[in-house]
Amino acid sequence: MADFNIRTDAVDVEQIMRQIRARIQSKRGVDYTEQQIQELANVKLERFLNPKGVRSDLVEQFRRARDRKLEPFEPEQYAFDGTLMYGSHRFIIRMFRKLLNPILKLFFNPNTLIHVLDKQTKINALYEQQFNLLREKSQQRDEVDVLYYELVHNLVLELTRIGIENRNLKMRLESLSSRMDFDERRARALEGVVQYRPGTGPAREPQQPRPRPDERPAPPPPPASSAPQPVQVQPPQPGTAAEEQAGESNTARRRRRRRRGRRGGRSRTPGEGMAAGGAPAEVASPGDSGTPPHGDPTADAASDAASDADFDDDPAGAGDDRDDSGEEPDPSAQ
Amino acid sequence: MKLAVVVQRYGADINGGAELHARYVAEHLSRHAAVDVLTTCARDYVTWRDDFPAGTEIVNGVPVRRFRVDQPRDPHVFGRWSERVFNHSHSYLDELKWLSAEGPKCTSLLRHLQSADAGYDYVFFFSYRYYHSYHGTKAMPARAILVPTAERDEAIGLALSPRIFRGVRALMYNSPEEKRLIQSVSNNHEVPGVVVGIGSDIPSRPQAERFRQKYGIEGRFALYVGRIDQNKGCNELFRFFVKGLDALPKGLQLVLIGKEMLPIPDHPRIRHLGFLDDQDKFDALAASDLLLMPSYYESLSMVALEAWALGKPVLANGKCEVLRGQCVRSRAGLYYETQAEFVETLRAISESRGLNAAFSANGREFFQRHYAWPVIEQKYLDILARVKEEDARGFRGNGMEAEPGWFARRRKDVRPANDVLADLPFGPVLN
Repeated sequence: MADFNIRTDAVDVEQIMRQIRARIQSKRGVDYTEQQIQELANVKLERFLNPKGVRSDLVEQFRRARDRKLEPFEPEQYAFDGTLMYGSHRFIIRMFRKLLNPILKLFFNPNTLIHVLDKQTKINALYEQQFNLLREKSQQRDEVDVLYYELVHNLVLELTRIGIENRNLKMRLESLSSRMDFDERRARALEGVVQYRPGTGPAREPQQPRPRPDERPAPPPPPASSAPQPVQVQPPQPGTAAEEQAGESNTARRRRRRRRGRRGGRSRTPGEGMAAGGAPAEVASPGDSGTPPHGDPTADAASDAASDADFDDDPAGAGDDRDDSGEEPDPSAQ
Repeated sequence: MKLAVVVQRYGADINGGAELHARYVAEHLSRHAAVDVLTTCARDYVTWRDDFPAGTEIVNGVPVRRFRVDQPRDPHVFGRWSERVFNHSHSYLDELKWLSAEGPKCTSLLRHLQSADAGYDYVFFFSYRYYHSYHGTKAMPARAILVPTAERDEAIGLALSPRIFRGVRALMYNSPEEKRLIQSVSNNHEVPGVVVGIGSDIPSRPQAERFRQKYGIEGRFALYVGRIDQNKGCNELFRFFVKGLDALPKGLQLVLIGKEMLPIPDHPRIRHLGFLDDQDKFDALAASDLLLMPSYYESLSMVALEAWALGKPVLANGKCEVLRGQCVRSRAGLYYETQAEFVETLRAISESRGLNAAFSANGREFFQRHYAWPVIEQKYLDILARVKEEDARGFRGNGMEAEPGWFARRRKDVRPANDVLADLPFGPVLN
């Protein structure tokens, strides 16, 4: 939270609220109400359906299609054959046509005409049947179209909502990652300050290579409980004031390291926690003090936490552990 | 000078906004004039049932005359009339029936007022929306001074209301927003009016540590004081607080003081202490980081003024124009309307020391300049002097307008109160 440096007589609440709203907007996007999301979705939907937009006259088409109804098409069908060609309700005419039929065939072939017209009649009947079928399907489609429209509308609405949420989450992720970067840098800086704080004790021993776990004996496993145990150390021997001061500073340093170790242990994943607290070979091995000055702070904390846990929970071997762990020797304990 | 204060309920243990307001005014005006309080025997504002004995008693040095209520309120009947006059076209007679249904109908109080008319120089009527205010101001408009305690609710849109606002001799407003609201609905610009508000007796040295020890509260907390009710915006407050916990300052608790009218979320960072006396309330305010005011409707928030007097910032609901206006004018608080704004404003107040210090200083200064008792008393005395001077000149006010005739009273041509309300201006008065 950025501090507001405001003089008492210059507080402008409206201005502060504008700043806060701008900050909200920049951090997580705009907070939309349900109504605003609906409006946004409508706008998008209209754009999607706008005749000048992506899909031409979809809205109009939809409306027309919804409004347009297919009229019932029932043409008068008739059967056609040779009898119909020469037939008549008058007997004399029917007889004359039959008599003159051979003469007619001298001029053209009426059988072909009869055949074609008969075919056409059958085709018309088929078309009518197909048309009726299509009309039924079209009616069903109209009903489904309404559902589709609703579905598309709801999809666009949800898409809009998800888009907004996605944008907000992206902004939040950016914010969190920047915060995490900052925290990491800060943690590294703090690690450096703690390790190289002048006058707090003797200089660290040079870095030693970390032995393999299989080369070291396994120490007792760390306790399941993470409750803090009282630190048991050997009673201090009488010494000089400088030694006492150094001893105090070392004690304080150990406390700091222990705290740091606990914090590091808490922040780790369970697997990492096991690596830190449950890797006894690394903990108890001699020469494991080689914490690089600019090494991975997480590894440092893990190493410290492990050594501290072991130190706290095995008082009998505390001195050995300390020696083995490669920490600076405690002047007060010697 | 003999004054009367007429209010629907009265008592040392009655803490409703208008009732407390009336008590404070009566007690402070009694130092300058003879003051009688005329009220009902009711304690319950829902039913107006007679709880106190009728007669005269002395409350904090002020004589209080109590009168029996003619009939307790029937909430169902009142609800039906409210539905009609608020949401449908209705007649003037319907509004009169609504007023009778609302109550507290106390004709003996009105008779006393009229019989003692010559006895009282001026009468302060509290809360315009009740039976006693309409009929009392109608009976003696030349001596009536109204403290309307109006909020942006439907009653302001009734046809009865503007008649009261135009008919009285003077109005004592609680806030500029209330003044604008009333002037918009009644066009009563010629009636003398002053924005007064109310003071509070702030203890000189509240004991924050005593409060923490007594109630076992450690760490920082935001405080809510008042009835824990949906109408006060507490639902929204709980929702915003619980939902925004991750983003809120670490360890910040929500402490609630007041009668529980709705379920309070069971959360380790929400503490409900119940109803506390004034000393504990002020100690709690002193111990708190800030005061939360989630209410949508307020004519004046006394507890916000008390928080400012103790140098505590206020975070108010921005949808309440009065609270928002108070925050802007005092320069001692922020307001929120959404979840994100709630979190960010709460963080700004809690975590920004510069802002907190500025709000603290501004709040104290705002209270001392506008709401210290000498200032409030002087405003009351000034308005009394002005009315008295007008009396001396022979001006007795505009008087109450004549009521509609028999047929006009029954004509259903009065707009629904909600429609009228919707047309009224909204927002804080910043100038």
